[in-house]
Formats: sequence, structure tokens, C-alpha cells
Amino acid sequence: MKKIISVFLSALVCAAVFAGCAKSNSGADESLKKVKDKGELVLGLDDSFPPMGYRNENNEIVGFDIDVAKEVCTRMGIELKLQPISWDAKEQELNSGNIDCIWNGMSINEERKKAMNLSEPYMKNRMVLVVLKDSGYASKDDLKDKSIGVQNGSSAQEALENSDFAKTVKEIISYDTNVKGFMDLEAKGIDALCVDEVVANNFIVQQNKNYLVLEDSAFADEEYAIGFRKNDQALRDEVQKILSEMKADGKLAEISTKWFGKDVTIVK
Amino acid sequence: MDFEYLIKLLFILLEGMGTSLQVFALTLIFSIPLGMIVAMGKMSKHLIINFPIKVYISIMRGTPLILQLIFIYFGPYYIFNVTYDRFTAAIIAFSINYAAYFAEIFRGGMESMPLGQYEAAAVLGYTKSQTFFRIILPQVVKRVIPASANEVITLIKDTALAQTIGVIELFSLAQKQSSFVFSVMPLFVAGVFYYILNLVVSGTFGYIEKKLNYYR
Amino acid sequence: MAVLEVRNLCKRFGELEVISDISFEVNKGEVLVIIGPSGSGKSTLLRCINRLEKVDGGMISVCGDEMITGYETDKNGVGRPVYASPDVLRRIRLNVGMVFQNFNLFPHFNVLKNIIDAPVSVLKQDKQAAVEKAMALLEKMGLKEKAQAYPCELSGGQQQRVSIARALALNPQILFFDEPTSALDPELTGEILKVIKELAKEKMTMVIVTHEMAFARDVADRVIFMDGGVIVEQGTPAEIFSNTQNERTKAFLKRFSESDL
Repeated sequence: MKKIISVFLSALVCAAVFAGCAKSNSGADESLKKVKDKGELVLGLDDSFPPMGYRNENNEIVGFDIDVAKEVCTRMGIELKLQPISWDAKEQELNSGNIDCIWNGMSINEERKKAMNLSEPYMKNRMVLVVLKDSGYASKDDLKDKSIGVQNGSSAQEALENSDFAKTVKEIISYDTNVKGFMDLEAKGIDALCVDEVVANNFIVQQNKNYLVLEDSAFADEEYAIGFRKNDQALRDEVQKILSEMKADGKLAEISTKWFGKDVTIVK
Repeated sequence: MDFEYLIKLLFILLEGMGTSLQVFALTLIFSIPLGMIVAMGKMSKHLIINFPIKVYISIMRGTPLILQLIFIYFGPYYIFNVTYDRFTAAIIAFSINYAAYFAEIFRGGMESMPLGQYEAAAVLGYTKSQTFFRIILPQVVKRVIPASANEVITLIKDTALAQTIGVIELFSLAQKQSSFVFSVMPLFVAGVFYYILNLVVSGTFGYIEKKLNYYR
Repeated sequence: MAVLEVRNLCKRFGELEVISDISFEVNKGEVLVIIGPSGSGKSTLLRCINRLEKVDGGMISVCGDEMITGYETDKNGVGRPVYASPDVLRRIRLNVGMVFQNFNLFPHFNVLKNIIDAPVSVLKQDKQAAVEKAMALLEKMGLKEKAQAYPCELSGGQQQRVSIARALALNPQILFFDEPTSALDPELTGEILKVIKELAKEKMTMVIVTHEMAFARDVADRVIFMDGGVIVEQGTPAEIFSNTQNERTKAFLKRFSESDL
């Protein structure tokens, strides 16, 4: 199913390229003015990614990214509007103008650099391996010829499959959500789960379960950024400028501490 | 998993069910009459009418609904450079998809009618429209109820696909809660919701079938 | 006065000519019985007169109304009938009643509704009057107590009696029967034949296609023997059944035992 969708989406993207060629460049970049005129920034997210952006027990969308975005909007004098989207369709949502940005713990990679106008990285992320505490696994080497789980379509999957480590394991099993991966880990269907470090930390803190992040397991350092439309340079620069201000006046550190216990941001 | 959270979860899922029910009801309201028109078109002897309808039905039944949703929502932007409401797009996609299935059911029902019913109506002087509305349609309704019930039940479950284009319905809310609490419990609760909905639907159809059983 | 007049009627199914050049008349109050082997074109003849089939040649008139005004040739040189105006066709339609072999009652209507629906919705008769007339007809058919029953609850013989009542409710000038007992168990045919005899006594004009030879002899004023799409012989029952000189008629009648005659 995912394959069909991606083929279809690629076709749409091709169509978009042609359409883009046909359209004349409308000259001046009005992206910032547009957002200010309508008085809101529409933030697209897959609202099932704790702690970056997710729904809490009151069905409100919260998270680290949300708190930062809210503060940015306040400083811009506009409202923040949250628009849940299907992660598979994020490029279409952005290009068709349904949303103004993707701000959802999105890792930087080459394709996204090409498809979007990315902000400077604001946070580091790594992929880690999580095992059960009583499993006896202490290092990556113990997982030779074992089963590893990962979320399908995630950057963790990409990182895992491209690593040398992948060649030593027995099999890689993918799930459509991380929750299912954790369930399978619990049920001993897999020996370890490969996830984003922020997800792992949040999950272990929240669930208070007997999970362990393998010390030597971190690989594939990557960074999170905000994605804008290719032509929306003015809007991207304005958001970037405000983020730097927030870093300077300590607001960013305050929000980071609330979610991660310390300042993990790397905004300059 | 405390009790307080369970109550909150129930309210969140109820909200999602509201959206799912809207998709469900609006799809039925639009797809059933549309299905009748399409069925008539497919039975038409004119190639100009029945050929495009054959193509339409074959595409609707031959491609995944999830793809049709994506096409209906994002297609207009790439073709005409316009964007519109995602809920509206979901209703359009579901309606034209289900209309194709209903059309085939209705056509089957119409074609299963004995010729003698048309002939009896003709010799008694009924006009074509009187024949259709007084004699044929009421009998076709009875014939298509069981197959239609199947489609309607499938539709309830298919509403979950609306999340593909960002419509927040029952199943997507359950998935989001599932990510939040790191447990599949919300999904099971959503399953119970779907099951109850389907009990109501199949019960209703059972009742209608019984009501129409006054003749064979 | 002729209620029905058929002149030089032709009907083809593709290359096959099922009716060729048939002419006959039915006078008011007359009972015409058409006999003949299966596939001889008897039913098709009735269906042509009823416009359930299109004709390929000839003229039909009912109570003085001409059904076909002429013929036009299409680009392939094939003759096509030009039917009269809708008003005339409607008048002819209502003057001709039809009873089918398979009854063709409307299963979703009860017995009473089957009978009154056409008078009320086609003739726009007052419902109360239609009900009274229907009840009278049902009483005549011995089915008064079945007025509220549905067709599926009735025996074949009862269903056929209801369909006769349904046809009579429109006060037709002539009533056609297309093998009215062929779909019935043998023990149920008697009740239908009795009803038809009853109608004959009342001088109802009727054309009956049947395989019941004894009944045909009994009820007919005139008999037509058809074979291979043509009228082989016609005459009084006595002429056909007792004194036929025609070899084909003889051969056909021989298949029926003496007890049938």
C-alpha cells in the first residue's frame, strides 16, 4: 500500500513540476506578508509523535515543537493553527498550500532539502536501540543474529537499513507505529527496537518500564528542522530570526527544559 | 491506565465517531441516488452513455479507495491550482466510490426482475414511469437490500481511510491516543465503537428485511 | 361488429418467420380458441396484437381503431410499422385485456391492490368505486376472503383467478388468454376453465390460446388451428374436432387421447 501511494505521489510531484514550469514566477516573495495578512501560521504535523507534537489525554495537540511554534507566532503577532496531516502526504499538503510549514521533529535528509526550504537545524537527534532491561543484552554486539524492530517509513528505518549493523542482524521487522514496536518488544517478538532517541527517552520516562537504551547503540546522528515551501524564503527567514532571539533571551532553553530536562536545542 | 483517563478517552473517541458518522451518513445520502443514476446509465443502450460509465465503474472498483482519496484531494491543486476543504474531498471520494458499487448492485437487482412484470404493467396501461416507480422499484429495493447491507457495513469501516487526507476521525484519534499512552488499548476501544455501530446498522437492515418479508 | 380485426399479419424473429400472412376477425360476444403445436406462433400472435412484440407487416384494428397507420422502409430497405398516435394506442391498450400463462401478479401488492391499482392509477378511477368493483370481481372468482392475502400465499389456480379479475377490472372489450392453465397442476386447471366458461356465458369477447382440447370444444364459438405460423384451418368446434378433412389437423388432434375430447 505504501508503495502504491509513493508511486502515485511521485506522479503527482511530476505533475507539479510541469505545472510549476507553466506558472510564471510571480516576482516578489510575498510569503511573510501573506501569513501576516491572514493572521495565522498553519503548522502541519502528524499529531502522534510524542514529545514533539501529539494529542494528550484531553485531545489537545501539545509537544515541544508546538510550544516553540506558539511562542514564535506570539512574537510575530499572529495565531498558530495546527493542521493534522497524514505524514505520507506532507509534501503535497505543503505544496498545495494547505499548510505553511511542517514542524514535527522532521529529520533533515537530502530529499527533503530538495523538496522544501528547510530552516537551520534546531535540535540533534540520534537513533538508538532499546531492549528489555532483563534481556541481558548490554551492547550492540549482543544483538548479532537477532530480530530488530523499527517504524516503517521513519528516518530510523532509513538509518538502520543503511548501517553496517543491519548486516549482522537476523531480520528487520517494521511496524506502522512505534507503539506496535514497543508492544512486540514487550511480547519478545523482537529483541531490540530502533527508534529516535527523543522517542525512546520520552517513552521510558513516561512508562517507567524496564527498558534500556543500549549505551553504545547510538548511530546516525541527525538534526531536526522546520520545512517551508521552496519559494517561501521571507517566511522561513522571519521564523529563523525569531528562533535565534528566543535562544538568546533564554525562552528556548526554558521550553526545552520543560520537555527534556535540559536545553537540547542547537539554534544559533 | 487509570479510570479517569478511560473516561477522557471515551469522550475523545466519541468526538471522532461524530466525524466518522458524518462521513458515513453524507456518503450514503449522495452515493445511493448517484448509484441509481449510474446503474441506469450502465443499462443504457447508447454507447456514448454506457461506455464512460463502464470505465468509471471499472476505475472505481479497480483502484484502492485510499488512492482515490489522495487524487480527489490533491489532484485539483496540480490540475487547476485550487485547494479546498479536506472533509468535502473525503465526502466526494467516498460518494463516487460507493456509487460505483451501489450501481452494480442496483443493476443486478433491476436485471433480475422477471420480464413478465414489465409486460403485465404494459398491458394494464401503466406508463413507463408508473411501471418503474409503482411496480419495479419497490421489488428491486427488496432484492438489493442484502447486498447493500454489506456495502454499508464496509463503509463504516472504510471511513477510517479519511485520515489519509487529514480528516480527524475515530480511528485516527485512537491511533494518536495510542501513541500518547504507548498502548494499543485505545485502538481496541475504537474497535468496540466500530462494532457497536455495525451492530446498529446490521440490526436496522435486519429489521428492514423482515419488514419487506411480507411477500416473496 | 368486429371487435378485433387482423389482416395479413407477419412477424419475423431474425430470418425466421413465425407468423406469415394471418388474417381473422373476432366479433362481439364471440369466443375464439386458437390451438396448435408448440412453436406454431399462437402466443406470438397474441403478443403482437398486445404490442408486446413489434409486427413486421399487416394491419390490426381494435373496436375500429387502427393500430398501425402504415409502413416505412428504412435505409436497409426493411419495412417498419408506423404505429398510431399515443392516444389511439392507449385506447386500444385499455380495450384489450390479457391473462398470462405465468399470472404475472405484482408480488408486492396484496390481491385487492393488484386489482385496483391500474384502475386507480391508470384510469384515475375513484378508489372507493374501484374497491367495490374489485370485491365484486373477487366474489365472482370465489376469492372474496383472499382480498388481503399476498400472491405468494395463494395456489396457482387462485393466482390465475386474481389475474383474470385484474384484467376484468379495466372493463376490456376483448380479453386474451395465453395458455392460462399451462403453468398449473392438472387438478387446478378445472377452476380456471370454469371461470372462463362463466365469462363466455356472459358474452365476454375472448381469444384463448390453449392446449385443453375438451375445454376448447366446449367453450369455443370458432376454432383456429395454427401450425408453422399460418392458419391451417378454421371453423366451428364441430367442424374442427369431429369432421376435419385436413391431414395436419388430424395428425395434431390424434396426439390427444379420446378422453380429452
